[in-house]
Amino acid sequence: MRLLLLPAVVVLAVFAAALAALFRWSVLEFVPGSLQTGGLTLGNFRAVLAPHYLGAIRDTVVLSALTTVLTLAGAYPVAYVLARTPSRRVRSALLVLTLAPFFTGAIVRTYAWVLVLGNTVIDWPVPLLFTERGVLVGLVHFSMPTMILVLAAALSHIDPVYERAAASLGASPARVFRRVTLPLSMPGVVSGGLIVFAWTLSAFPTPELLGGGRVKMIANVVKDLGLDSFNWPGAAAFAMLALALTLALLTVAGRLARARPS
Amino acid sequence: MRSRMPVAVLAALLTLSLLGPPARAQNALVVSVWGGNWKDTVEKVIGKAFTARTGIPVEYEVGGTIDRLAKARVAKGSPLVDLNFTTTHVARLYISDGLYAKLDMARLPNAREVAREALRSDFHIGSWAYVYTVVYRPDLVKEEITTWADLWKPSLRGKIAMPDFDPSHIITIAALMEGGNEVTWQKGEARLRQLKDSVAAFYSTDAQSQDLMKTGQGPVQVMLSVNAYHLQEQGIPVKVVQPADYPGIVGIDTMAVMAGSKKADAAHQFINLALSREIQAELVKALRAGPVHPGAAVPANLKGQPGIFLSAAEWKARGYIMNDEARAKNLPAWREWFTANIVKK
Repeated sequence: MRLLLLPAVVVLAVFAAALAALFRWSVLEFVPGSLQTGGLTLGNFRAVLAPHYLGAIRDTVVLSALTTVLTLAGAYPVAYVLARTPSRRVRSALLVLTLAPFFTGAIVRTYAWVLVLGNTVIDWPVPLLFTERGVLVGLVHFSMPTMILVLAAALSHIDPVYERAAASLGASPARVFRRVTLPLSMPGVVSGGLIVFAWTLSAFPTPELLGGGRVKMIANVVKDLGLDSFNWPGAAAFAMLALALTLALLTVAGRLARARPS
Repeated sequence: MRSRMPVAVLAALLTLSLLGPPARAQNALVVSVWGGNWKDTVEKVIGKAFTARTGIPVEYEVGGTIDRLAKARVAKGSPLVDLNFTTTHVARLYISDGLYAKLDMARLPNAREVAREALRSDFHIGSWAYVYTVVYRPDLVKEEITTWADLWKPSLRGKIAMPDFDPSHIITIAALMEGGNEVTWQKGEARLRQLKDSVAAFYSTDAQSQDLMKTGQGPVQVMLSVNAYHLQEQGIPVKVVQPADYPGIVGIDTMAVMAGSKKADAAHQFINLALSREIQAELVKALRAGPVHPGAAVPANLKGQPGIFLSAAEWKARGYIMNDEARAKNLPAWREWFTANIVKK
């Protein structure tokens, strides 16, 4: 049995080694204009606490939360129809539409949004490209297929008999949804929400291309520090900070989601 | 079961050790270069001629500026490549870490003929040049742009795009306008702040820069001359400005031999060939970059254009070359200041 665990141990060891290397770099002194590092220091953590870096963390959390909520709101009706429609054609059409974005790469999809959000195709009343709004649109679109599939799986496990019973006892459709369908689909809502929130925290190509350099999320700042400023210790410190924050946020979100009203 | 564990661990380690770098031809010279058109041109223009003359095959390691640097760093002492192409200020990082071998100038007779500006250090030498200058779409911007100072005109508000991965060009220009330079760059801070509202977008790759120009999202740019000429060839109506007030900011891509390379002799031969008048002429044609050999033939449509320098006087009058070391040292501070004061809304 222990032998079967070996691949997992090897993978974990590699991850642990990478994390250890990241931590080591984060406490080494950055020497501008050189790849050599100085001695041990906590200065990198102080440096990445500058307002514009903290602003990127704040923007990341806000955008991730908004993406989660909007994706949930947009995906739920589609998932509901996907799970409940008796028509095979409708289900197939919805599935194709849902899965289609998976077959185009993230970069291609995001470039398509550059054209759509810019005023080349549609003359938008408010600027969208290179703004937080535009990035939000891209992030929601990116997350939507996954959320739909997770919710549809959860909804398909709810026996329609419960809804019919509630309706036969006089509950309006809105009440059936509020008191029966939604509570029973909560496991899917929680899983989908956590997945979307977690991966939006580490989004890179969407803010990079749709943000026009103005909207920076955590991954963009790490790339800027490491690849553009050659400040590997700074990039490592920011990544450590972001990792700690992500773990804390996911722990809180997970606990809140699991909390049941008494 | 316990007794089998070490065997399994050994098997896993053996498998991992077999997953090393790809096998290379034993006598091949390995050249590290950027991908896409850069690698294709180096291979077609220099590599093939080199193999034809020496019989030594050339293999290529392709990647971005920093990931190739990171690879070189972890392979220090027994390099995976023999010869490296990179920008002149990034070369300073290689040099500071002891990754480059000192060039043996006796084995580079063609280096005696190249422009003085191409001799960057004892460790690296220029292969071609270009400028970052003002480029715009006359079909979308009605007024003519002739100077760097024009970028500050209120009429261009919301139309400009510039690189955020390396703001050194505009920082240096602003400093020059205020009587400073790249070392005393703080002199240009106030002027740069005035530019903040004029910027529509910042780009982080050459591809993004070209897309912004094509779609009209950034019709006025601080742009790499090579990319501008590429757009012209694609039929995009862009005008490359030879600024009348201050010169374009010169970029020089360089070649160097990796420290510890067992093919240092072949690497020197490759560099020497790349510096020859004939190969330089081919590079100009393929890349639309400026030659480092002043005698290289240049197509008529490129003669006198920004980034194409054919004499010492042209290098001096039409290009500003930053101090490599100051640029490498200041870049993190520049980016920090630029992000906090210009990029952030």
